[in-house]
Amino acid sequence: MELLSLAAKDILRRKAKSLYLLAAIVIPVAILSTILLTLDNADSSLSTLASKFGFTMSVQPKNVKVERIDQIGIVIGEYIPESIIATVESAVRSRIRNDREPIIIAPRLYLRTDIRAGKSPVNSVVAGVDFQAELAAKPSWKVTSGRWPAGESEAVLGGTYARANNFSEKDGITINGREFRVVGVLQDYNASEDYMVFVPFRVLQSLSSREGFLSLVNVQNVSLDRDRNLLSSLVADLNGKVPNIKALAPQQFSTMKYMLLKKTFKFLFSIIAATVFISIFAIFNIVTSVLFSRVREIGLLKAVGASRSQLLAVFLSEYAALGLAAGIVGYPAGMVITYLLDSLVLNLGAGVRVSPAVILIAVASGLLCSLTASFYPTYQLSKIKITDSFRTQWEV
Amino acid sequence: MNTQNSQPLLELRDVSKTFKLPSGDVRALAHVSLGIRRGDLVALVGPSGSGKTTLLNVIGSLDRPSQGEVLLEGIRIDTLSEEKLVLFRREKFSFIFQDAKPLRMLNVLENTLLPFNFFKPKNSNGNLKDAAIEIITSLGLGHRIYHMPNQLSGGEIQRVAIARALITRPAVILADEPTANLDRTNRLFVIETFKRLTRETGITIVFSTHDLEIANISDRIVQMKDGTVLDEEPSPCPPCPA
Repeated sequence: MELLSLAAKDILRRKAKSLYLLAAIVIPVAILSTILLTLDNADSSLSTLASKFGFTMSVQPKNVKVERIDQIGIVIGEYIPESIIATVESAVRSRIRNDREPIIIAPRLYLRTDIRAGKSPVNSVVAGVDFQAELAAKPSWKVTSGRWPAGESEAVLGGTYARANNFSEKDGITINGREFRVVGVLQDYNASEDYMVFVPFRVLQSLSSREGFLSLVNVQNVSLDRDRNLLSSLVADLNGKVPNIKALAPQQFSTMKYMLLKKTFKFLFSIIAATVFISIFAIFNIVTSVLFSRVREIGLLKAVGASRSQLLAVFLSEYAALGLAAGIVGYPAGMVITYLLDSLVLNLGAGVRVSPAVILIAVASGLLCSLTASFYPTYQLSKIKITDSFRTQWEV
Repeated sequence: MNTQNSQPLLELRDVSKTFKLPSGDVRALAHVSLGIRRGDLVALVGPSGSGKTTLLNVIGSLDRPSQGEVLLEGIRIDTLSEEKLVLFRREKFSFIFQDAKPLRMLNVLENTLLPFNFFKPKNSNGNLKDAAIEIITSLGLGHRIYHMPNQLSGGEIQRVAIARALITRPAVILADEPTANLDRTNRLFVIETFKRLTRETGITIVFSTHDLEIANISDRIVQMKDGTVLDEEPSPCPPCPA
């Protein structure tokens, strides 16, 4: 039998007191897990929200002539080389910490041309887009009828455009001599997209003889959304180093999101700090009470040859085991609370994900709480003289 | 009385112990000089407050004397550092306390082997578990080896304490009122066991008691009053065979 075995047997013998102490440690761990999981959840939701407002950053041609600005507010007729995609991706990648974090780059090519559909031609704005990238960045983008294009000869229409021209799903349209089948109509967003026809990016490049060029690159990245300074420096860097382009960031939204997160973090962490402090104090009292009821036992262990360090090892390993268990129990408890909080109050809707980082923090905080609260009383009682431990009534 | 070694195993030279209390100093021992030989069974008798427990604590190095010297096998132990005392006590002393019940989470065998959770046995030949079972059985607890303390009577609990004291093969066992809470049968059993052990193993046992019937079975009675040794006399009972 060894010291750890002694500790384990003691936990099992004092089931009620051990469970009471375990519950006291589980509470701060569960609260900490809840807050961290909610923040994670909120961050996902804010990212989703960000997509509704637009991309993190856009890169478009510089010095646009006024006549190039179309009536729906986009620039048509000014182009930048497609090599800008690699330049932008490299610039973003060099600034973010997580190598595996996705950087969504969605190029667009705009063209104003006549579209025929068996009737008189309709002068329209056609956007060549990378549907996969657009949808990854804007999950809120939806078709109200039909589906997204799957082939090179399929198109979707902006909602307002389809209604104004009596186009609907399954209609055939011709753009610059090439036939497309309308497979879906977009929901209205009160944006320029409501007035466009969307076809695959490469197909429009080919139809308009603009291979190697594009009108606009939209970029989305969570790290840039989070860090206003990082985004500003990236925009300044691109504008300074790459000729004939203009990088723009929707600063207002980014600032709002940044401030919201900052305030949320401050508020939640002050709650964590207060909870952990109160819990450590409560655990300290419980541990002290339990230890004082074990003074004779401590005296006996010293009398049979336990050194002070061995006593500390026995008692602290007991409390470390309880802290570890509290961490393991506290994390799922935090997940349940997070789920209920989200379902009943916050409605963030991002779901509760298993987070290895939060599991690690939960277990570490359980250990920290139990050891911080138990070290001082254990240390003090390990100093007690054997004679004193038997001489006095210590029962609590 | 065991006379295999005429030199005292334990020696106290002019030992005094004063406790400093807020209400004033209390002198628990005053100029006690005492020699105890190897294999002796010594009873400390005297009224409450006479200094029996303090003397046992000073002998066992659980308390340091305020004055005087305590020697074991010729080595002064009252000046050893706390760290060295822990090692010294493990090697030389075992204690039996009146109120020190066995650990509730351990069975009789585990309680007997408790000291070896903290240090390795000296001269360990053979299986410790077998040695512990032999001791437990010799104390009449062979049928209780795997029982928990709450399944034992008061007499049996005291026998577990004796088994735990014996397993480390100490030079000296110090027992503070080991028979205080026991009925007569168990009191006699404990003291006869002590007597047998001193004869068979050469262990020195010093115990305190109020019970003169028990004290009379010992080899030697040390009478105490107000912290001093009043009188020393051999036990009136016939010596047991060696």
